[in-house]
Amino acid sequence: MKQFWLISLMITVFVLNVDFVVAQNYTISGTIKDATTNEIAVGTTVYVKETLQGTSTNEKGFFSITLPKGTYTLVISYIGYKEIEIPVELNKNIKINEKIEPTAITKEAFEIVGEKENINTTEAEMSSVKLEMEKVKTLPAIFGEIDILKTIQLLPGVQTAGEGNSGFYVRGGGPDQNLVLLDGATVYNASHLFGFFSVFNADAINDVKLYKGAMPAEFGGRLSSVLDISMNDGDYKKYKVDGGIGVISSRLTVQGPIKKDTASFIFSARRTYAGDLAQPFVSDSSAFKGSNYYFYDLNGKINYKISSKDKISLSGYFGRDVFVFKNSDDGFELETPWGNAIASLRWNHIYNEKLFADFTAAFTNYSFEVIAKQEQFGFRLFSGITDWNLKADFNYLPNILHNIKFGAAYTFHKFTPNNAEVNSDDVEFNTGEVIINYANEVALYVSDDWDISEKFKLHAGLRYTGYQHIGPFKRFNNDELGNPIDTIVYDKGETVKYYQGLEPRITTRYQFNSSSSVKASFSQNYQYIHLASLASVSLPTDAWLPSTDVTKPQFSTQYVLGYFKNLAKNKWESSVEIYYKEMKNQIEYKDGALPQDNSGNNVDNSLTFGKGWSYGAEFFIKKRVGKFNGWIGYTLAWTKRQFDEINEGKTFFARYDRRHDASVVFNYDISKRLVLGGTWVYATGNALTLPVSRFIIEGQVVNEYGDRNAFRMDAFHRLDVALTLKGKENKKFQSSWNFSIYNLYNRKNPYFIYFANEGNVFDGSLDLQAKQVSLFGIIPAVAWNFKF
Amino acid sequence: MKKIIYYLSILSAVLTSCEKEIDINLPEDEIKLVVEGKIEQNQPPLVILTKTTPFFAPTDLNSLQSLFVKDAIVTVSNGTNSVQLQEICTSNLPDSLLPAIAELIGVSLANLQSFGFCLYTTLNPSIFGEVGKTYTLNIQAENKIITSTTKIPQLVLPNKFWYKDAPGFTDFGYVWFELTDPPQLGNAYRVFTQRKGKDNRFIPVFGSVFDDQFINNLTFQGFLQRGQEPNSTAADDLAETSEYYAQGDTIIIKFTTIDQRHFNFWNTFEIAAFNNGNPFASPATILTNIEGGLGIWGGYGVSYDTLVAVDL
Repeated sequence: MKQFWLISLMITVFVLNVDFVVAQNYTISGTIKDATTNEIAVGTTVYVKETLQGTSTNEKGFFSITLPKGTYTLVISYIGYKEIEIPVELNKNIKINEKIEPTAITKEAFEIVGEKENINTTEAEMSSVKLEMEKVKTLPAIFGEIDILKTIQLLPGVQTAGEGNSGFYVRGGGPDQNLVLLDGATVYNASHLFGFFSVFNADAINDVKLYKGAMPAEFGGRLSSVLDISMNDGDYKKYKVDGGIGVISSRLTVQGPIKKDTASFIFSARRTYAGDLAQPFVSDSSAFKGSNYYFYDLNGKINYKISSKDKISLSGYFGRDVFVFKNSDDGFELETPWGNAIASLRWNHIYNEKLFADFTAAFTNYSFEVIAKQEQFGFRLFSGITDWNLKADFNYLPNILHNIKFGAAYTFHKFTPNNAEVNSDDVEFNTGEVIINYANEVALYVSDDWDISEKFKLHAGLRYTGYQHIGPFKRFNNDELGNPIDTIVYDKGETVKYYQGLEPRITTRYQFNSSSSVKASFSQNYQYIHLASLASVSLPTDAWLPSTDVTKPQFSTQYVLGYFKNLAKNKWESSVEIYYKEMKNQIEYKDGALPQDNSGNNVDNSLTFGKGWSYGAEFFIKKRVGKFNGWIGYTLAWTKRQFDEINEGKTFFARYDRRHDASVVFNYDISKRLVLGGTWVYATGNALTLPVSRFIIEGQVVNEYGDRNAFRMDAFHRLDVALTLKGKENKKFQSSWNFSIYNLYNRKNPYFIYFANEGNVFDGSLDLQAKQVSLFGIIPAVAWNFKF
Repeated sequence: MKKIIYYLSILSAVLTSCEKEIDINLPEDEIKLVVEGKIEQNQPPLVILTKTTPFFAPTDLNSLQSLFVKDAIVTVSNGTNSVQLQEICTSNLPDSLLPAIAELIGVSLANLQSFGFCLYTTLNPSIFGEVGKTYTLNIQAENKIITSTTKIPQLVLPNKFWYKDAPGFTDFGYVWFELTDPPQLGNAYRVFTQRKGKDNRFIPVFGSVFDDQFINNLTFQGFLQRGQEPNSTAADDLAETSEYYAQGDTIIIKFTTIDQRHFNFWNTFEIAAFNNGNPFASPATILTNIEGGLGIWGGYGVSYDTLVAVDL
């Protein structure tokens, strides 16, 4: 437990030291709110006119500046809002709570996430991006379904899992290496319909921030990225209803005050039209009558401001995909419900103008089930993961030079990897005992954002993580036939294996001038959970697995170097980042492994272990403001893997290795009522494994595959456009039409390639063909949105 | 399980809008030897030796026949006797012998006549299959050495077979069986059927292999889904009822016991065939029991039953 002491020592030193140094200064602090909605205004710039020293409000709308005694002018500014100047006579600690008013009345204030204008070059943070929901909503989307995860994929360094898929890969990391947080609670499988839609209903989302490297120490548990999503608080002043009717689904959001200015709620629901997605089953043949597919999402949040220093919020998400398949021809019936249930309770507390705290209790569950029936046979396969999580995060702002964060987290994991039950009438087949794994995970962290000098800024963080795989657990050691040779039994609560590690996170910034800087970062991460996939893409059937005595925790080291430059008075942002990332203890199934292999056996006995690494350069240029805004991103990257037992030990490219990946994203305000949005994407084709030769056994053609992922599909590119027409200004009721066209020039992008064989081997009529399947051609869509 | 993967993948196929034939340049791979060998009790060992060919090599009869590997030294031993097999090409045999050869290889007579097989076998009865014995195969050909072993496991006889109409049908249904799996783990089975007057050979049923991973030491009932010739265009194989047997069929059931590695081959072989064209499936690796090559050297403990399909 040496690390615990080390961390608490560090916290003590930081806190004491810094306090001592600034003892004779005074602090101006306060909260900035939006005057129209009374919601806190995150990211408002607050600076001292005389010295040009400044800060921005944190996620609580709070700011704090510590200065020597004197007379100053405080400036509060926020894009789209009136600037406020406040003269201050500083001879004691001062509190300033201000409300800012929008300059344009049409702006929906609560939807805006502001930021300091030159945050790109001045913050030590790198490899991170914040998305503004308002701009996401005018971008084109497939079937008109706005999806933040698909917008995330348009950023450099983020790759899509496949056409129309909301899964994403960050800098060569696997889909399990992204930490997706919804109001602080982990979301394990963020997609519906095999990845075609994300579980996030855009109407319920306030803002989204992605870290693709240089992760701050407050985040951990994943190697590659953090996607931090916060839900809307709901309006504290008046009731509002928003909704939309689209091609695939409809949405409705209701929000308003429970008690004016004190308590608010928001409730949001989305559902696909039942039967529509299943139509092809039902119409083709009446044998499939009763087949159906649909999904729905429910989001809710309640906030209560107990006092000026305390706020409590309760957020929840529940979503399910349901696929029912019936074939009366052979009496086969299949039902697969799957989805997430998430809840988090948060308490924000302000101790004083320098110390804030967030306490979170969260629950998350992802479960997947297949229930199948045919004749007298029943089959059930189920898997899932459940977490109970407690977190305390503190933010300490001793003076203008330091922003210190520290905290602790505890998670109890319950894993249910694929378990099967089979019966034939009353005969229960031997599918082994239900296997459930348990683990404890703890984390302690401390970090400081430190302005060492005007030019130098340092973000130094350290995270300690400990992981305990606990019983009840059985370690099976079986022979080739599955007969147990010996079995080690661990009792309830007994430690199977303990892992721990220190994760340093360091980012530095050197500022050349107010518009350009260079940043460098070094970070190490541990990840104690793994996602094992038998398929070539991520599916809801993939099972989450714990680290065990056999499966070691994933570990990564990442180096990033970047140059950041703002142009034309911060209207344009640009950056170049190069990175190198190493990932150890990556998992894959052994060749020929099957999902049912874990009956009477441990799943990890059919895994094999190896390493991965990726490197590349990301170029990004963004026009932040103006009638015409958007960005261009380009990534040049390599992602490789090496496993001793796969591909004869030779290094191979990951399936999602993309040499080139580019995107162009724009929004153009044609008039006050008309916005044109567009995206164009280009990506090197997926790497895939293809047969190089064939042979014949029992008259059947059998493929012999070549090196893993040695073949490339054609490049992927596509242009989408959307036009949003807002209704006439009307205080009571507003509506807008969204017309979008997906794949405007109808490019037949390759989705997969397979080899068909027809005819009879023995009479010379055998015919072999390579076939390329494309998923979506041109798809127009329309959605009608309203609010009142 | 296979069926579930299939139906799940249908969901994705629904969204699939367009398919086209493309030209692909595949890299050349080294040529490997392929064994299709078997030994049943009271039968001579039989080995068909071929080689892999580039995927898009021609598929006419001459090209396919050129894949037979000739002049190989093929020996089979049962621990006591070791016998070198003789090479036979059916094109050199008198027509009167062909029906017996077709039966032995497991192909229809028509296919045998049109194709012309080369195979290695022997008439020396000292190496004919015996239940419980292990058989080692050694091949030297084209500067390669191939070895493999297989066992003819003890017979396990099903308790009974019967036919039952499928729900919603009056003349079509599955063949059902009841089996008592022996106590020890590691039993595996492969099942073939032949409809008299309709099939020219014993055709493996759909999902022809199963092992006792889930059914060890249990008495249970299962059904046989009718298999068909690869890429068959026969009318009853294209019909809606293609997976069923018809009332009135006389069905000979060839129920075999196989060893675990033999099972692994056919199991992964069938999954690979099944997953072809499924965008979500990883390329399936076929687990072979051949050292130095591909394919299968498999022993079968065979029992036969005849069933007239009548729903009682």
